[in-house]
Amino acid sequence: MSKVKTRQNVILFTCNWQAYNSLEAAGRERLSYSTAVVPIRLSCLGRISPGIILKAFEAGAAGVMLVGCPEGQCHYETGNLEAHKVFEESRSLLKLLGYDEKRLEYQLLPAEQGEKYLEVLNHFLDKVENGREKS
Amino acid sequence: MNTFKDVIEKNQAWLCLDCGKCSSVCPITLHLVEGYTSPRLLVEKAVASGENITLEDPLLWSCLTCQRCSEICPSEVDFTAFVQGARRLAFDQGLSGSCTHSGMIQSWMRMMANPALEQDRMGWISNDLSIDQDSDTIYFPGCLPYYDTAFVDLGFEGLEIARGAVKILNALGIQPRILANERCCGHDLYWQGDLETFQQLAALNLEILQNSGAKRVITTCPECAYTLRTTYPEEIGEVGLDVFHISEFLATQPSLLASEGYRGSESRKVTYQDPCRLGRFSGIYQQPRDLIASFGFDLVEMDHNRQTSICCGTSCWSTCGQVNKRIQSSRLEEAGSTGAEMLVTACLKCQIHLLCAQKTPGNGDPSQLPIRDLTTLVAERI
Repeated sequence: MSKVKTRQNVILFTCNWQAYNSLEAAGRERLSYSTAVVPIRLSCLGRISPGIILKAFEAGAAGVMLVGCPEGQCHYETGNLEAHKVFEESRSLLKLLGYDEKRLEYQLLPAEQGEKYLEVLNHFLDKVENGREKS
Repeated sequence: MNTFKDVIEKNQAWLCLDCGKCSSVCPITLHLVEGYTSPRLLVEKAVASGENITLEDPLLWSCLTCQRCSEICPSEVDFTAFVQGARRLAFDQGLSGSCTHSGMIQSWMRMMANPALEQDRMGWISNDLSIDQDSDTIYFPGCLPYYDTAFVDLGFEGLEIARGAVKILNALGIQPRILANERCCGHDLYWQGDLETFQQLAALNLEILQNSGAKRVITTCPECAYTLRTTYPEEIGEVGLDVFHISEFLATQPSLLASEGYRGSESRKVTYQDPCRLGRFSGIYQQPRDLIASFGFDLVEMDHNRQTSICCGTSCWSTCGQVNKRIQSSRLEEAGSTGAEMLVTACLKCQIHLLCAQKTPGNGDPSQLPIRDLTTLVAERI
């Protein structure tokens, strides 16, 4: 219990369509992932903004991962591209603030790939852990 | 100042004569067509009904704190300071205006209040600029590196303003010091009512400024200049350094103003937007105009200029909407109708807000006059 409480959360902004489907697939396959991860489902990853990402860090998140649908397969055509612009802008702002840029990540993942989703997520968690040890 | 009564008393709201002069000049009152709100009405409500109504009044949160009303009041009611005081009480109760840009700017400001933060904000200093970290002159770019990242899509000049300032200082033989870990001055959080974070930012800035051993600090942002010079002493303590906005500092440099070589070959007609914190708040009207003229530009004034100048339409990254866009469009029209080929301002926020109005779809057809910062305009001719 105490281990969970002292842990900094990692916020996972995930698209409602293909990306979230993969996270659900992980659940259906009974694959587990860290309790530090807080998934937040967005109607499209294009709804993310630098303000929301910075807010997560302001509130003490260890890392933020954005997961959208594969290129050319956005349900609303350009949401994942819009999200990439937001990712770039947020990364620049975090760099100015002296944050390790590894603490923010952008990934595009297809539907029904629970295992792949967790592989990417766990890889990110490792990077965030490493980044935290350095600072 | 702990109670609403204190706020009313300190800013002399009791003395309101109900004359409505403030309401006749308030840009929000003029451009809010969907309803009616005015400084006079808010003061009347405050005095008559107490805080519960006033703290939720839309004008308390849409007020631009441009000081046009306080300036014209015959009874010396300081409505602008009243709004700040009321917002401070409201903030303590969990009330707040709506943050623009999804709160991004407030977030980076609050993140900067962390004493352990080590920013990486010096990347803009190019090799052609000469700086000296033992100089007695500090150049304080404020949040410019952040705004440069956030508003590059608008065509905002951003860090060109900072590079321009250093270039001008270099031409005067000054190699300024740039602080690697300066914080946001806290202006916007202060005017939104978040005194606690403002005090944290101010304490961090005061520590590095006071320990620097420098004699003066120069900013390119009128809000930083006003906050360091006036708000810090009022709320925290003296900076202990001479604080200048760059237009003010350059006006003290006769060699620069008199130099014929900087005048350029052709005279260009420009108009000037007085930033609220530089004009009405700090009384600096003439210096920017002298600079414009001495660099060979032909200044034509808008109908509303100097004390009667109109705010760029939004303040402290809070509450921006149709009313604000109307204020901005109307100001751009006024600038366009002077026949000038360029609108010059001395505040980065004026530039961001007016550029945004020009580029916002569905905002009528505002004048597309190029908008430049005084610093880059001068730097270009050196």
